[in-house]
Amino acid sequence: MRFGLIKLGAVTAFAAVFSSTCANAQLNDIEDTDAIVADADAVSAEEGAAVDPWEGFNRKMFGINNAIDGVLLVPAAQLYRAVTFKKQRKGIRNFLDNLKTPVILINDLLQGEFKRAGDTASRFVINTTVGFGGMGDPAERIGIPQHGEDFGQTLAVWGVDSGPYMILPVFGPSTLRDGIGAGVGAATDPAFWLRTDAASLFRYSRAGVTGVALREPLIEPLEEIKANSLDHYASFRSFYLQSRKREIANGRTNFDDLPDIGDFDEFDDLE
Amino acid sequence: MKFFGAFVASLAALGLFAAAAADDEAELFVQGILDQAEPHLAAATETERFDGIADLVDEHVDMRRVSRFVLGQYARKLSDAQKAAYDPLFRQYATQVYQNVLSEYAGETLKVTGSVDRSERDIIVNSKIANPKPGSSFADLVVHWRVYRNRDGALTVVDAGADNVWLALEQRATFTSVIANNGGPPVGIDALIADLHEKTGK
Repeated sequence: MRFGLIKLGAVTAFAAVFSSTCANAQLNDIEDTDAIVADADAVSAEEGAAVDPWEGFNRKMFGINNAIDGVLLVPAAQLYRAVTFKKQRKGIRNFLDNLKTPVILINDLLQGEFKRAGDTASRFVINTTVGFGGMGDPAERIGIPQHGEDFGQTLAVWGVDSGPYMILPVFGPSTLRDGIGAGVGAATDPAFWLRTDAASLFRYSRAGVTGVALREPLIEPLEEIKANSLDHYASFRSFYLQSRKREIANGRTNFDDLPDIGDFDEFDDLE
Repeated sequence: MKFFGAFVASLAALGLFAAAAADDEAELFVQGILDQAEPHLAAATETERFDGIADLVDEHVDMRRVSRFVLGQYARKLSDAQKAAYDPLFRQYATQVYQNVLSEYAGETLKVTGSVDRSERDIIVNSKIANPKPGSSFADLVVHWRVYRNRDGALTVVDAGADNVWLALEQRATFTSVIANNGGPPVGIDALIADLHEKTGK
């Protein structure tokens, strides 16, 4: 299992690859590691069976999604990498992130995170103007880093349990709650309601570009997880649920709900 | 002035509270390991780096404890023959994971930033990359070390993670999944052992 710690966030990022409404591709929005937050999520990231009653269906869907990924998305991402420079790709990712800012702002506000809402609004203004329409990220350099939010996270903050883990067709790993959140997110997109040819073209182009642009930096990390895991599906689920939990807590960490490693009876003979 | 006094007192109380929730000995223990790791991470070749990391893992990670933890509800279900096969394979496999994961930090220096005690014997020590390059994905990454204090007071590492994603938790999820999806013990355990064989190239 040759993966790096830095790559663990890749799985959550992958969940956002297809979804132009999910804004959870940011891997490093940590705030205060020592802050303790209430357990916002009933998901016990490590208890596979309990959170995954639909495992049979999910495994099939996981296989189908991976096939689509391998045939369409990965080649497109490789082509994209071949014809662009690293700096250009960074600019495109910034631009796409900037497009998501209004949804992030709505969710910051719905969660009562007014400081983060202020950050989001400032980032939008600064990056859209000084950052050349969002291609640059000067806000980051002056100390307002990016963070993600989506309706699934808002529902979690409001106390909605995650429900079962599920693999959505095309959209990838999610939970019942987060899937519903993604639907709400899609409905808040103005382009969703405009049924003109221009709006459709915009929607499809944005979805395509987003999928390819976000998949490109994940080509190697996800390949390594796949190549080296004992059970690709279970690894993916564990990484997804662990990192999703942290996102919902807005980067604040809570070590209280980790399972005990030492205090089992069966370890008595070890001491 | 009275208000100011109360303010200072509450700050002091907060400070005391913070001190109580940290574990200096565990922090020093982890910083010692990170100091030992630094020259290995700076090694010129992957072989040197891997060898150095393997030595550190051997010295500080409580493999027997982790090897049972990752079996979850099946921890007691191994036959003696299965234990004999599983234990060295797990050690090899987990060492490989540490080698690959820590190699991500080749040429970097990790510094302990604080700790949180879940209990007197179960402490999370946090560390960060010292002086990351601007814009580096390491800039905000927190690397966690889970430290276990034995009854005799000796400290060992039982898990590592980054940004709240833990290696042993992922291993438990995959190991229990492999066992369950191969018909449960005892055949499921044989399947796990076979998979570990394959992944460790033994």
